[in-house]
Amino acid sequence: MAELFEITESAIDPARLLAAVGDPAAGASVLFLGTTRNENAGRRVTRLEYEAFASMAVREMRQLARQGRRRWPLRRVAMAHRTGIVPIGDASVGIAVSAPHRAEAFEACHWLIDRLKEIVPIWKKEHFRGGTVWIGAQQGGPEPPRQRRRAGVR
Amino acid sequence: MPRVHLRFFASLRERLGPGEERAVTSGTTAGALWESLVGSHPAIDRVRVRIAVNERYVEPGHELAEGDEVAFFPPVSGG
Repeated sequence: MAELFEITESAIDPARLLAAVGDPAAGASVLFLGTTRNENAGRRVTRLEYEAFASMAVREMRQLARQGRRRWPLRRVAMAHRTGIVPIGDASVGIAVSAPHRAEAFEACHWLIDRLKEIVPIWKKEHFRGGTVWIGAQQGGPEPPRQRRRAGVR
Repeated sequence: MPRVHLRFFASLRERLGPGEERAVTSGTTAGALWESLVGSHPAIDRVRVRIAVNERYVEPGHELAEGDEVAFFPPVSGG
């Protein structure tokens, strides 16, 4: 099964993510789906729109998977994020992780979605009745990535 | 004078457009280039900008080189 790290305008396919982490040495596969919610900060959200710096986003996803494999004995990782308009209730992001045992698969999947939200260059624009707002830009997003000894090295 | 390719995303793209080519003086840093953009577009002053050169995050002191792709964007909010 080919590896799967992608930015896509199409619907996220959970079965495809799970298939991408299939591995005979895995005893557990964990799938996380982030779905768009109809409410945020007291606003009634009508739809969400995502923009990505696609090539860098895929590079950062691969990097996170490598870091995850160093922290836990993972078998495979797959990550996909949708861009464009995502209707309420649809998945905007999906992450699948397989590992020999469930504990590390759960932990790694949780860590991967947290890190994705912190560093992968994707932006969410919330559409609500009466306007739109870029999330992160106005409301205090995550802290910048930690200082690196050399530029481009982490 | 190195030529670099600027790219903007999200709220910055809406204000500045998708990007542009620009010649910079030798030794120009990514942070200095951002300051010059703020100088010509005061409305972006409040953006807590992130900068990536050739698809890798850099600190403001990173010196730009010929052909670099310099991306400016607000804090990310995927997920």
